[in-house]
Amino acid sequence: MNFSSMFRPAALAAVCVTAAFVAGCASPSKPENMVPVAAIAGQHKASTSVTVAGGKDTDSMGKSQISNDAFQQAIVQSIEKNKTFSSVVKGAGGDYQLSVTVVNMDQPSFGFSFTVKMEAAWSLKKADGTVVMQEIVKSEGTAGATEAFAGVERLRLANEYAARNNIAAALEKIGKLNF
Amino acid sequence: MLQRVFAASCLALGLASMTGCAVNRAEGHLMADADLSKVKTLYVVHNDADKHDIDKDLKTAFEKRGFVVTNGPAQPTPYAQDAVVTYIDKWMWDITMYLLELQVTVRNPSNSFPLATADSLHTSLSRKSPAEMADEAAASIVAAKH
Repeated sequence: MNFSSMFRPAALAAVCVTAAFVAGCASPSKPENMVPVAAIAGQHKASTSVTVAGGKDTDSMGKSQISNDAFQQAIVQSIEKNKTFSSVVKGAGGDYQLSVTVVNMDQPSFGFSFTVKMEAAWSLKKADGTVVMQEIVKSEGTAGATEAFAGVERLRLANEYAARNNIAAALEKIGKLNF
Repeated sequence: MLQRVFAASCLALGLASMTGCAVNRAEGHLMADADLSKVKTLYVVHNDADKHDIDKDLKTAFEKRGFVVTNGPAQPTPYAQDAVVTYIDKWMWDITMYLLELQVTVRNPSNSFPLATADSLHTSLSRKSPAEMADEAAASIVAAKH
């Protein structure tokens, strides 16, 4: 066996392995892609803090996930964009406390178009601890087969769409509250 | 010489790819105002999409931890028990079918608002039986702290 005949299958194998690794790397959901596009009615003059729990970090060899930080940033950006509250404060000191927990993410493993189902628990309290709202918000997001070639990318998009719809539905409910 | 380098590279890549596939997660989260110390009785709701009777594994897992547990189909709220348990089971195929992920939620029996959640995930190379993953999820919920 000469050098070139031996090198060809080796190069092919290397290309295949590299392609598999690149295609298989999951990336986390991006906050800016989870901000609702359409305007959400309802504005309050009070300020709020925002805390998020239940999110997961993305493992490069696992599925794309939504982290606590990314979801919190998306909620803060959505509130600021729609002026749902007058301002978002960090830590204590706000008139209200908005706590959001990602309860579950039902993610597909196979398929051409991916649909992610998300459930999040939204809780809004006054600074003194009085509960103003406790809502379970369920949403879905579907990324079509043509939106991204790699499955991990389609899953990330579907996650982001589900989260975006979740934020929109929750802020709409909050916007309708009288306080 | 080149053959040895090629064989060694293949072996290294093979090992690296297999190591990367062993993803494990066992997490529990308690909601801010939740107090599970008051919960003595549970109702595990059978997930309609579940073909493996995971609700029975969860029943066993919570009974092992001192709870009085009933399982069955979803019922109208409010439930008679102190809390309700729901779950989502995700299965994967790799030579055989295996339980990839089990997401468990303990809920308020009146309005279904979550009190605690747990997530147990094991990919193919570190797969566990449904009973073991139910046990792991129940342990994560009981151990979850604010």
